[in-house]
Amino acid sequence: MTMAHMKNPLATPDQIFHRSSLDSPPTELRDAIFFSTQCLTQAAGILLQLPQSVTAQANVLLARFWLIEPIMSHEFSDVSAATLYTVAKIGPCPCTPRDLSNVYAYLLSSSSTFLSPPGNNPPKNIPDDYYQSETSYQAFHSRILSLEHLILCSLSFDTTVSLPHPLAITYLQSMDFLYVPKEKITRRVVEYLNTALLSPQLLCLTTQPNGLAVAAIYNAAKDLGAKMPECEWWEVFDVDREDLGFLVVGMRSLEGWVGGMMGEEGVLGKKKRGGMITRKEVRDILGGDRPPQEEEEDPEVVMARRMDEKMREIEGDAA
Amino acid sequence: MDGKRQHHSSFQQLEKLGEGTYATVSHAALISVFKGRNRQTGEFVALKEIHLDSEEGTPSTAIREISLMKELKHENIVALHDVIHTENKLMLVFEYMDGDLKKYMDNNGERGMLKPHIVKSFMWQLLQGIHFCHENRVLHRDLKPQNLLINNKLQLKLGDFGLARAFGIPVNTFSNEVVTLWYRAPDVLLGSRTYNTSIDIWSAGCIMAEMFSGRPLFPGTTNEDQTIRIFRIMGTPTERTWPGLSQFPEYKANWQMYATQPLRNILPQIDEKGIDLLQRMLQLRPELRISAAEALNHEWFAEFHQPAHPQQHHPQQPMMHPHRGYQQHTVPSQNVYGNYQG
Ligand SMILES: Nc1ncnc2c1ncn2[C@@H]1O[C@H](COP(=O)(O)OP(=O)(O)O)[C@@H](O)[C@H]1O
Ligand SMILES: [Mg+2]
Repeated sequence: MTMAHMKNPLATPDQIFHRSSLDSPPTELRDAIFFSTQCLTQAAGILLQLPQSVTAQANVLLARFWLIEPIMSHEFSDVSAATLYTVAKIGPCPCTPRDLSNVYAYLLSSSSTFLSPPGNNPPKNIPDDYYQSETSYQAFHSRILSLEHLILCSLSFDTTVSLPHPLAITYLQSMDFLYVPKEKITRRVVEYLNTALLSPQLLCLTTQPNGLAVAAIYNAAKDLGAKMPECEWWEVFDVDREDLGFLVVGMRSLEGWVGGMMGEEGVLGKKKRGGMITRKEVRDILGGDRPPQEEEEDPEVVMARRMDEKMREIEGDAA
Repeated sequence: MDGKRQHHSSFQQLEKLGEGTYATVSHAALISVFKGRNRQTGEFVALKEIHLDSEEGTPSTAIREISLMKELKHENIVALHDVIHTENKLMLVFEYMDGDLKKYMDNNGERGMLKPHIVKSFMWQLLQGIHFCHENRVLHRDLKPQNLLINNKLQLKLGDFGLARAFGIPVNTFSNEVVTLWYRAPDVLLGSRTYNTSIDIWSAGCIMAEMFSGRPLFPGTTNEDQTIRIFRIMGTPTERTWPGLSQFPEYKANWQMYATQPLRNILPQIDEKGIDLLQRMLQLRPELRISAAEALNHEWFAEFHQPAHPQQHHPQQPMMHPHRGYQQHTVPSQNVYGNYQG
């Protein structure tokens, strides 16, 4: 059997390096945006009752997209919605733009508990907060469709994502652990893999699924005190010790990093308001020294341009 | 944002080659295929134009087709050269083929029947293409004469990957609305959701019979009718001949019982070895169906197994092709395809 399908396109070192020069906020802030947006995708996936695999693939697609497109060029929540919409569409359970819109309106409203500081009282549910007028739905809808188009184009339609989860399950089936039941280990493995998707270290773009699967198994077994095989078992799955070491540390560091970021001194902790971070907030944090980017275009101008294009197209057809 | 449109200037559109619909979740988006000519190189291409749906955006079939086809490079799979996108349209630029197998049978067959050596060559190429897909974990899911393209060198290539999908492990979440009725495998008709590569082999078997006889083997009109037509020839299965049969959603305890008919009576045009291969492809139980790799090794294809021998009949015969996997392993650094103006 070929393993080709188990591979993902990986980021080049150049791309990772250039992330910071793409008109981007400082690293700390950028990582916070990345993390929040990935969490938003996962929350929306749950509310839309999408399979976990769909949400996970959307996470990977979003990470790929931000390697190419500057993070500040579109509203973060829109990018989350568009990637989730696209991945759901090509999978077994597509969601309608209407459902998508409702779920994001709710998650972005002050009634939702999304990323609200843990100590606080749960917010009051005020349905008016997330009521969507037809106009705002239409605006959301057209933003999502044009983003979908942009995402597909910038990724050259490379929408297939190989997730490490099924591989990890297969590996686990072939292994024996002492002292701890396999179901417990499996659960922990899945937790590690899901967390890796949120990681601003972009583990999913720098490592093939087999590496992630092995590292998650290693970490889970360590956490639960399970006795792993004596031999260098990771080599069976094509992972060398050095890579494993790097991944194990990477996966483990996320928890502490999130704690720091959400804490009082952290980027997200300092934010006045809980909930999803917005581009406006980022600009405010940066001191408003940047000119407001791409003002909404005058609809009249847009329409005129479309008409021109249409004309040119018709003329082209006739030629 | 100057909305430059490249495609009308770089490709000259010639006549229309075909038209179909892309099924989307709630609408049908019209697609048309044109013959085109690259103004720079003079080379012919097939242009598949897909209108974006105003409600759903890019049709999922188009996304799948593009994402799979750009990786599947094989001489028996139609090559996708480029994708050009504009605000409301996608244009897929394919290598040009002179027609599809349906048209070829209509125009060149005797009452649709093709000469045995042509059938054998087409089957060999079809199975090569299928084998390559399966090796790369792609199911085509919609093999039928209209989706197999033929050029005037008598090369056959798989086209229309709109319903295809990549499969990993496990494979159980597919919708069951796939493959045109006539070429649909019995397990899919019975409502199986865990199907695999064997569904493409069933379709290939139906196509082989059709090339020999000039008529579709099982031209059903409804799911029900399709199932019964298959049973009438292949015999009605029972729990004894097909353990687990009664667990299928569409299982009926009161199916009319038909005895298995020898295929050689129905298809007297086919030689003995050909019948043996066909029999193995048209197994009711998916797990008993021959794989593409095994089929290529079948002795019906013996003449292709010794590449040293000159093959008078088949000047364009592709050899067993060394496997080429997915090649692109980095995130694209700029648009590899097309000219998005956003
Ligand atoms: N590369 C090509 N060269 C020549 N004709 C083609 C080509 N691709 C498609 N066609 C013609 O257009 C028809 C429809 O194309 P297809 O890709 O099957 O789209 P659909 O999804 O509408 O079925 C085919 O049956 C064939 O006749
Ligand atoms: Mg077709």
